Amino acid sequence: MDDIVSRLDRVLNPRTVAVIGDKRAMGYMWLRSLSAFKGKLYSVQIDPNELPGIQELGVPNYASLLDVPDEIDYAVCAVPRTVAPRIVRDCAAKGVGGVSLFTSGFAETGEEEGIRLQNEIAGVAQESGLVLIGPNCMGVYNRRLGVRQAMDQPAGDEGRVGFISHSGTHAINFSLLASVHGIKISKSISAGNSVVVNPADYLEYLAQDAETQIIAMYLEGIQEPRRFFRLLKETTRKKPVVVWKGGTSESGERAMFSHTAALATPLSVWQALVKQCGVIPTDSLDETVDVVKALLFTKPCAGRRMGLIALTGGQSVVISDTFAREGLDVPLLTQRSYDELSSFFNIIGGSYRNPLDAGGTLGFGARPDNLERMLRILDEDENIDAVVLEIASRLLVRRAFGPLMPPADWLPDMLVAQKERSPKAFIAILHPGHLEAQVIEERAKLLERGVPVFGSFQQGARALCKMIDYYRFCRGLD
Amino acid sequence: MTTATIIDKAKSEGRTLLTEVESKAILEEAGIPTAKARLATSAQEAAKAAKEIGFPVVLKIVSPDITHKSDVGGVKLDLKTPDEVAAAYDEIVAAAKKAQPNARIDGVAVQKMAPPGIEVIMGMSQDPQFGPVLMFGLGGVLVEVLKDVSFRLVPLEPRDARQMIREIKGYPLLEGYRGQEPADVEALEKLLLRLSEFVEKHPEISELDLNPIFAYKDGALAVDARIILS
Repeated sequence: MDDIVSRLDRVLNPRTVAVIGDKRAMGYMWLRSLSAFKGKLYSVQIDPNELPGIQELGVPNYASLLDVPDEIDYAVCAVPRTVAPRIVRDCAAKGVGGVSLFTSGFAETGEEEGIRLQNEIAGVAQESGLVLIGPNCMGVYNRRLGVRQAMDQPAGDEGRVGFISHSGTHAINFSLLASVHGIKISKSISAGNSVVVNPADYLEYLAQDAETQIIAMYLEGIQEPRRFFRLLKETTRKKPVVVWKGGTSESGERAMFSHTAALATPLSVWQALVKQCGVIPTDSLDETVDVVKALLFTKPCAGRRMGLIALTGGQSVVISDTFAREGLDVPLLTQRSYDELSSFFNIIGGSYRNPLDAGGTLGFGARPDNLERMLRILDEDENIDAVVLEIASRLLVRRAFGPLMPPADWLPDMLVAQKERSPKAFIAILHPGHLEAQVIEERAKLLERGVPVFGSFQQGARALCKMIDYYRFCRGLD
Repeated sequence: MTTATIIDKAKSEGRTLLTEVESKAILEEAGIPTAKARLATSAQEAAKAAKEIGFPVVLKIVSPDITHKSDVGGVKLDLKTPDEVAAAYDEIVAAAKKAQPNARIDGVAVQKMAPPGIEVIMGMSQDPQFGPVLMFGLGGVLVEVLKDVSFRLVPLEPRDARQMIREIKGYPLLEGYRGQEPADVEALEKLLLRLSEFVEKHPEISELDLNPIFAYKDGALAVDARIILS
């Protein structure tokens, strides 16, 4: 194993963790976040006023890192910036695997003192081979081991998506929002100023990490650009890489410099790199979650021809417009499909050329068998690469069409069956509309069962399109 | 002269801008077809060179200090006789001297007038982070006004060259618009790949411009070229 990869492996899969400088004023956020950790947790704090609070949490405390009677794989440093160099020296002296510095006030301030301190800690780490994460970051997250960056991150089970982020907020928000959408993190790293270890190193690590099947990133500047370019090219051949790039506008660039002291990359160069490497670009947290969801829960698909099912005429028009606008095709079906559809389709208030305007044929929920027939026809149609179904929130979560109509209790099971049976990519669109609270609940249940549900036609279309672009790149199409 | 000697010569003279004659010689060696230019240092020499090359010819000022030749009256097209060539030589040199009195003038490049083709441009510049970046676009107004260009980082793969040409908005013009002859897109792809290879081998080159390249039904020809060393 490569040196940086094996060193990161120790830090990202720690057996022991030390928190240095946690305090009441921060609500003991680090010790509390690490309360889910499955290994041994230690605290280092010299302030006598803080000791009772740490004792209450049941974490053994030492006055110095060097006093801890155990090897330390991963340390979190939350001391003031003037103390940071001493702690980093202690970490090096003790042979700690890696330390992440929550401490900020370094080069991102643009002032001399901050830059000097940053150079000092970087120098110590580089000399000793200590993995220094950050500074100005939220450290690492390993869901399986319960190493967390924040108290509300889930812990205990394995994940399949790795995340690298220059921003601690985006790292944490991605893990939380992803979790609501059924996506579990394998390892996440908040990279901060990235003065010693940088996203290129994390990418190299996640590329070979067996637990990680998809890599997503939030990037500001790019350290070691040529190496990063080469690594991206290599990695996308093995697993999809989704990159949400910040600082692509002039005002964003300015904010980026004061955030992580990063230099801007011209947009034209960045876009060239994205195309050459087969990176999947995104512009927001939501879009990143959507694309990862498509990658994780649908079958790989390299064709752009959509088979669309909507429940009413208005939705049929808009679903077609939206998928076409996002760069996908909505072709006519084969004659065989039309022959079959004509045998049962209710054309009064409906049509089946593609999209399938299916509400009436479904008996507004009373004829689930007809929906299954439509799905099977699209699955078998040679003109279709992927199938999209609109689920009206009113159909799913309540008796939309009056008290005499049965609720569509059968729908979740049918969606799961479709997802499993279909050889094609399949997604469902469930717009929350006026039933947001109930829809969130239903959506969670479906995602739990592996059905990719998207909140709008546009979200579904865009995510699917980006996924398709990736698989087309992998297969050398276009 | 080989690429190395041309570059060494420029360096020893403290120059970063190579002349058109030098730039084309280097590109030819890299396998990039150019409209070869011959240096003439007098009106007589120019007329003689033109006779050997065959009429019509183009004359262009050769000076390491002049970047935009047509701006100083340093270009004459479609010269059909030895007399026209000799007269053009004197006019060009006089105009260049008037426009830039301090410029060193090496002479005039005599070049066969290339048959017209679809004008495209290729260029390379250095990104401070990612290093050499290649650019492709349609020549003339389209690149200047509409900025209809595409970029890729060096090294290019065949897919990159293919996409780079096809992603510009003006691509249909290369496919043969309204009865026009289509351009040899494959030749342009090869040209981009050769440029990428060439640039990778020569990190001392900081900027490169092939503007214009004439794209024909069969092949393509760099009609003007400029190389700047770092």
